[in-house]
Amino acid sequence: MANQSGDVYGLTILSPILQDVNAETSHNCAIRMKLASLPNDESSPFAKVSSTHMARLVVMDDVVYVGMPSCEEHLKSQYLVFETNFDGDLDTYLTRMAREIPADVDAVWQHCWGYPGTKDLAAFIAYMKKCQITTTFYFADVNNHTVQETLTALQTQAAVATFIEKNQGKTAAELQTAFEHFLKKLHDAPPPIPGRPEKGGPPRIETNMKWGTRNAANTKQVTSNE
Amino acid sequence: MSNINHKTYAMNAITPMKWWKTWIVRAFFFILGAVKPLQKDLVQLSFIHFARWVIIKRSKFPHICDEQPEEKLKYDYLLFFSNFNGTWNQYIDAFSAVLSTGLNLIWHWSEKFPGSVPVTPFKQYIARCQFDTDYYYTAYPYATTNDVKAAHRVQDGLDALEKESTGKTAEEFARSYGKFVLAVQCDLGQTGKAPVGT
Amino acid sequence: MSKLDATDIQGFVLRGYNLPFARYLFLEIADAQRARALIGKYLDQITTGEHWDAGKPEWTLNIAFTHKGLVNLNLPDASLLSFPVEFLQGMKARGEILSDTGKNAPDKWDAVWREGRVDIWLAVNAKAKATLDTLGAELQRIVDETGGAKIVGVQDAGSFWIDGAWSSKEHFGYTDGFGNPDFLGVERDTQPGQGKLMADGSWAPLATGELLLGYADEAGELPVAPIPHLLANNGTFMVYRKLHQNVATFRRYLEDKGKLYAGGKEKLASKFLGRWRDGTPVELSPDARDPALVKDPQRNVNFTFGNDSDGTRCPIGAHVRRTNPRDAFGFNGRLVNRRRITRRGLPYGPYVPEDQPVEDSGEHGIIFMALSASLFRQFEFVQQQWVEYGNDARLGNDKDLLLGNHEARDKHMIQGTEDPMNPPFVCGGLPNFVELRGGNYFFLPSMTALRMIAAGTVDPR
Repeated sequence: MANQSGDVYGLTILSPILQDVNAETSHNCAIRMKLASLPNDESSPFAKVSSTHMARLVVMDDVVYVGMPSCEEHLKSQYLVFETNFDGDLDTYLTRMAREIPADVDAVWQHCWGYPGTKDLAAFIAYMKKCQITTTFYFADVNNHTVQETLTALQTQAAVATFIEKNQGKTAAELQTAFEHFLKKLHDAPPPIPGRPEKGGPPRIETNMKWGTRNAANTKQVTSNE
Repeated sequence: MSNINHKTYAMNAITPMKWWKTWIVRAFFFILGAVKPLQKDLVQLSFIHFARWVIIKRSKFPHICDEQPEEKLKYDYLLFFSNFNGTWNQYIDAFSAVLSTGLNLIWHWSEKFPGSVPVTPFKQYIARCQFDTDYYYTAYPYATTNDVKAAHRVQDGLDALEKESTGKTAEEFARSYGKFVLAVQCDLGQTGKAPVGT
Repeated sequence: MSKLDATDIQGFVLRGYNLPFARYLFLEIADAQRARALIGKYLDQITTGEHWDAGKPEWTLNIAFTHKGLVNLNLPDASLLSFPVEFLQGMKARGEILSDTGKNAPDKWDAVWREGRVDIWLAVNAKAKATLDTLGAELQRIVDETGGAKIVGVQDAGSFWIDGAWSSKEHFGYTDGFGNPDFLGVERDTQPGQGKLMADGSWAPLATGELLLGYADEAGELPVAPIPHLLANNGTFMVYRKLHQNVATFRRYLEDKGKLYAGGKEKLASKFLGRWRDGTPVELSPDARDPALVKDPQRNVNFTFGNDSDGTRCPIGAHVRRTNPRDAFGFNGRLVNRRRITRRGLPYGPYVPEDQPVEDSGEHGIIFMALSASLFRQFEFVQQQWVEYGNDARLGNDKDLLLGNHEARDKHMIQGTEDPMNPPFVCGGLPNFVELRGGNYFFLPSMTALRMIAAGTVDPR
């Protein structure tokens, strides 16, 4: 089905934005101001709705005029575009938005025509579905892993790279001990946090094995043929 | 406003189409969806996390309540949203260099599309049709889609190694470990900050 | 396409002279009119691309300008503003893009570059050292006589004399000078592997516009060029970077890691670069040096990486693979054709044999010079995306071992096999082997453009 690719759902929502000639700040400017104040790292509301891989909010002011001989035309309202890629089904995701980040959702969508608010869950879901546009073609490079699985894998990747580097040249016994120690630390590590810019894995995963350089002459290189 | 969140760029583009051309684009996407090998070039380029095309018929802009003015449009619109890695120039250069046929099949039907080759008029057209992202979130800002795929390979390899390591002697373990390293040796690039956008 | 007018193009652009001695003089302009007279006096001496019927000349002379230099020559504003943005800004302002930060930041540069004083680059290449001095003195005389500029810096460079012959080695011991691209219309001894890969596996020259302004490039259009046409055509852009080499650190690192690597020190060195230190390409001969292969022009640049996608012959992050991936990214190499550069550099500082002591603080390095029609699309791209980053090669943030501006966790992964002499090996704890000491972006005009600049007759339209 067009909105889905594997386990990932691609939601596209266009919400028409209110126009009020008497407002001191127009509604689309107000939305932009609100969006500018939202953090987009681990403090983002979408980090809380943690099934979100990637999400964007865009105020679409108008359609584009590409020049003659095309006709010039304009939209009567601006639209708030919400494009998100998440795990699971639509109803669950919308429910999470309403239940976990209601203040932020209301603050942004209150500027849109006919927005009922997050308090009435059924009305909220109905509204969002009314604004939904079916995706014509959806491409997801990785569509079979949840956000948490991906974050865990990234943490593992960094830890493994460090482990391989630090245990180069160890004897089989040393390697096995170090590996057991390493696995334990990896399994005990707290789950990684979505949205956080994290370079190559946090230090708490690393083992305490020393560099082999000083022992180089006495250490047999371990290969798989031994 | 920012289109960029560390390693990922959020591009939005809208192009007008004469209403009677829309079905051609739908047909092409239907084929693309059904015939997986056509997607292989896109997968090989490997710098898009998620991308979508959305056709909005001129009468289908969401109309929520009676007070909202109704849109009266001549054209249908093709919306494009991409979450990609790399710089804007790099992205478009690559597509123009190796995927020009596919791009033409999608956008030929949009008004005044100049073709995806040569690249400079193509970039000018995109610049005209692109509109900027106000808010962009990604759960893994320091990782590209290559990093994500590599990470999953490493995780799978480690899970397998862990399983087969129980009750093994040191020598047996070292052998399995050696095989594991060979299996993941191309997937160990560190993640981190993105190169500056240019 | 029409034949290139080689006499209109500066010789430095069309060929590597392979003369062993070089001296680069850097001038700062004080007065536009007198500086133009100075250029006028040099005009007849500038070496063009003309054929050398009588063998190599005793010396060659070439000239290039920074944007500031062109400003100081009073070119019209419309022309000045029509140059590509990166050239306008100059290399120092592009530091974030190039990773010229930290140890490579401008505050570490030689004063003449740090202060942005260079307007003109004058390059003398010669057969003999004495010629450099003679010519240098003559150039100084003309500078004094015309009075419009001052020589603010001099940099000597040159090949090493090793075992009774001129060598193309550099300070880390690698044999350099392979792999400059072929271009349509540029006369050269073509070797298979230098050009672009065709669908049938053969090699063809790259479009002329990848090197020279005014010609079609690989994207089927003309590269961004300043106005008017006569100013741009047959010209090109050059990046000049003084790369200091920490020879002691490199030797120590290679020695230490070489003891841990089963293949030994020389093989390890080959896995850093992608060629053994004698020049043998690793992709063709990963286990041993092959002097016959090095000397064979039909083979020594003729390889692809398509059958080595896991890097077990030539590591994925090896320098030559990073800077010219050939077909490693698929699509028959088409993603690489607009990212090629032409290198013209030379080492500087005295050669110190491997068995002699050496200090990092010694004057050892490379004057790296590369030519391309577009600095942004060619040099800057390779530097930013392929040298100081690795995502296209699926290496994440890992940097080139030799050139990278390494941060704490950087490493170079050598992919291996089950062969005990070819194990997987991580080169971690990477120090900066190379440090940037200055440089800038230059424009190398054609002879026609030079005459216009000297005469002050550049007109934007």
